[in-house]
Amino acid sequence: MNLLQQVVNGVIIGHAYALVAVGWTMLLGAARLVNFGHGQMYMVGAFVAWWFMRLTGLPYPVAVVAAVLVGALIGAVMQRLLMRLTLSRDLVSLMIVTLGFGQMLEGAAGLTFGARPQTLTSPFQSMTLHFGAIWFTVQDVILVVATLVVFLALRLLLNATKFGVAVRMVAEDPVLTRLAGIDIARVYMGIFAFEGAAVAFAATLVAPRTPILTSMGFDQVVTTFVVVVLGGIGSVGGSYVAGLSLGLFTALFGALVSPAYTTAAVFALLIAVMALRPGQLAASANFAR
Amino acid sequence: MSARLEIENLRVAYGASQAVAVDRLVVEPGTLAAVVGANGAGKSTLVNAIANWSRAAPRVEGAVRMDGEDIAGRAAHEIVKRGLQLVPEGRGVFMGLTVEENLREGAPSDAGPGRRSYSIDDVYELFPRLRERRSTAGGSLSGGERQMLAVGRALRMAPKSLLLDEPSIGLAPRFVALLLRTIRSLVDDGLTVLLVEQNVRAAMEVTDVVHLLERGRLIASGPVDEMRDDPRIVEAYLGGGHG
Amino acid sequence: MSAGRFLPLAGALALAVLGFFLPRLLGGSTLVYDTLVVIAIFSAMSYGLDIVLSDLGEISLAHTAFFATGAYAAAILTVSYGQSAWVAMAAAILASLALALALGLITLRTREFAFSLVTYAAAIVCMNVASNWDFLGGSDGIVGVPPLDLSIGPITLTAGQSFEFWPYAYALLLLTIYFVYRFRRSSLGQAALMVHMNPRLATMCGLDGNRVRLQVFLVSAPISALAGWLYAFQRSYVGTDLFDTYFLVLMLTSVIIAGRGLLLGPLMGTALLMSQKSFASLGAYGDKLVLGAILVAALCYSPRGLAALWPRMRRGPL
Repeated sequence: MNLLQQVVNGVIIGHAYALVAVGWTMLLGAARLVNFGHGQMYMVGAFVAWWFMRLTGLPYPVAVVAAVLVGALIGAVMQRLLMRLTLSRDLVSLMIVTLGFGQMLEGAAGLTFGARPQTLTSPFQSMTLHFGAIWFTVQDVILVVATLVVFLALRLLLNATKFGVAVRMVAEDPVLTRLAGIDIARVYMGIFAFEGAAVAFAATLVAPRTPILTSMGFDQVVTTFVVVVLGGIGSVGGSYVAGLSLGLFTALFGALVSPAYTTAAVFALLIAVMALRPGQLAASANFAR
Repeated sequence: MSARLEIENLRVAYGASQAVAVDRLVVEPGTLAAVVGANGAGKSTLVNAIANWSRAAPRVEGAVRMDGEDIAGRAAHEIVKRGLQLVPEGRGVFMGLTVEENLREGAPSDAGPGRRSYSIDDVYELFPRLRERRSTAGGSLSGGERQMLAVGRALRMAPKSLLLDEPSIGLAPRFVALLLRTIRSLVDDGLTVLLVEQNVRAAMEVTDVVHLLERGRLIASGPVDEMRDDPRIVEAYLGGGHG
Repeated sequence: MSAGRFLPLAGALALAVLGFFLPRLLGGSTLVYDTLVVIAIFSAMSYGLDIVLSDLGEISLAHTAFFATGAYAAAILTVSYGQSAWVAMAAAILASLALALALGLITLRTREFAFSLVTYAAAIVCMNVASNWDFLGGSDGIVGVPPLDLSIGPITLTAGQSFEFWPYAYALLLLTIYFVYRFRRSSLGQAALMVHMNPRLATMCGLDGNRVRLQVFLVSAPISALAGWLYAFQRSYVGTDLFDTYFLVLMLTSVIIAGRGLLLGPLMGTALLMSQKSFASLGAYGDKLVLGAILVAALCYSPRGLAALWPRMRRGPL
């Protein structure tokens, strides 16, 4: 098998991992929230785009916008539900609630969208580009560029805007943030809405690669969990690096060792890191880097 | 820009145990009042309750009036917006933000009538040391610089009244003197300040009024000149040897 | 024995006897038997998580793996090796203990947040291994688990259909509840509670927190594994769906919904959830929605469980 092609695939998958992870990274960095419902939010994002295109007949880019808006709304609903637990920083309860929230989304999506596999059709998925022995699609290019733009924009947002600095304040010390006259519930609302919008955006860009199912949430984003944790709990730059590395790792491990055990290998790596360095999971002041 | 701060029947309890019970405490506009007392007397609990701010979520009852308006029970950030600003004990700054970021965020663009707003440059005028360290992260500052930054942050919110919780704790004596002198100058400019201090001797140097807190209750209050000779203060805090 | 101790004991015995006849009291249909058997098995599974969650105060997300370990042990030994259910039971206990020991050692230094994350990651590794390793049936799982046969010498103890299954499931449930009851009165149970509630005091009393945590983890794993063992016979096949988030959410909800630390809490929780599924089902998706909503509502609006709504009913550590 062409190794260079594997590297290209790895880079593309890596950007997909990073883009799917970016909302969760923000959520984890700023609110210490492990969102086990992230996968189902991804699934809903893909299905909303598919459904929108089918109902309205409007083109794919419009469906992306629609899915992002619904995603932000779901994030906002989640924030309302979790407000009390977020403010009291009951991290473990929060984590379990998101499991339940994911089940709710999966059930609701099954009722709404049915059990059959569907295809989210992007016109860019069938446009391929060939360079000698390697090839990729225009959709892949869009994915990589969009990921870079999202990460750079997020960095700018966190470091140079009023809201971004408020997010960093909440991440470091939400109680103290109140004394800066900031309504932290509203900051959390923004963070959750971003999570919802970002994962829906990622879904609309990544999901055209494969058929979509309402039960796919877990499988599709289980690796994202590794990206956000290995990336150094909510470090924005860290999760980009972690996503990219993991993409290369999965592509190469899959090609050279065993495609079946890739997930197990990745998680074993994660367990080793967490068990050897529990401090890695501590709050990080460098979350905006 | 100065406000009259009036506290009535304030009760603060953690679970079943009452930590603070203050019947009446008034800070006149443009004056500095110090609440002194031993460790654990409830000084921090008292000022935190006035600002409705705490990490431990105690039960608070009573009235807090600023220029006659009752602000008790409002959310902490609302109280800040109305011009009552707390500088909490210890970590009053964000470690992950630079000095300038600490000073930039949260400040109201228009504080409203009767409130003096401080620009970042005003804060640097007051504490020139901060200007030198403007790009340094809060976490890398010395204790004294951190406390200056905390006070500077508070001023940026254009407060009418300032509550200061143990600003001198852990500071070298020359920093304590500098900080308290600066606070005094703010009061002379018209700010109303309630200062909680364990360093009674230093507080006596700058304050107008002294309140002595013991086990959550005010047991003596009066102008500083009278209180200087109060045996309870002399014995417990000034060692009898002041002059 | 004084009257003060005799009365609760007699009450408990009466309740246990009554419970045995419950399926007949409810009409004795296959649906009733099926539902009650599944309630008994899933309750037993939840009790494994209960002692980690309620007594140790940690949230393990790996108990689906222990449950699956028991089920896979039963299936492999009976189907692939033709062994008896008793041998499979021993294997289920040993395999779950081995897994718990490995996981317990790995998580020894992690607490709360990190503990939950590592246990979650471990469950995913187990699932991934199970769906790829042919020895464990791969993604097809293992089909054709024979009917339960626990005969000893001349005594025939077998079960194929659901009404025949009930005595065994019920016995497992009673044993599990009794075990948890004894555990909470044992020195280990007391130690766990002290490590949970007041780690500093526990250290001053000479308790080694890590040791206690590891022991409790080891005690909890075979409980869930035995439930999995019986489930394999009831369902007659095992597969990677045993690792599904559904079981995890079911367990967590069962433990939390009635009230943490209540002896009968997990049983009541499971009964409530499975009854809805059997008798008031809204279809697979509707049921998922209901289960998720119950968990979310319980944690967001009544984190101490339904029992907290009736203060006098509440007993236990909190």
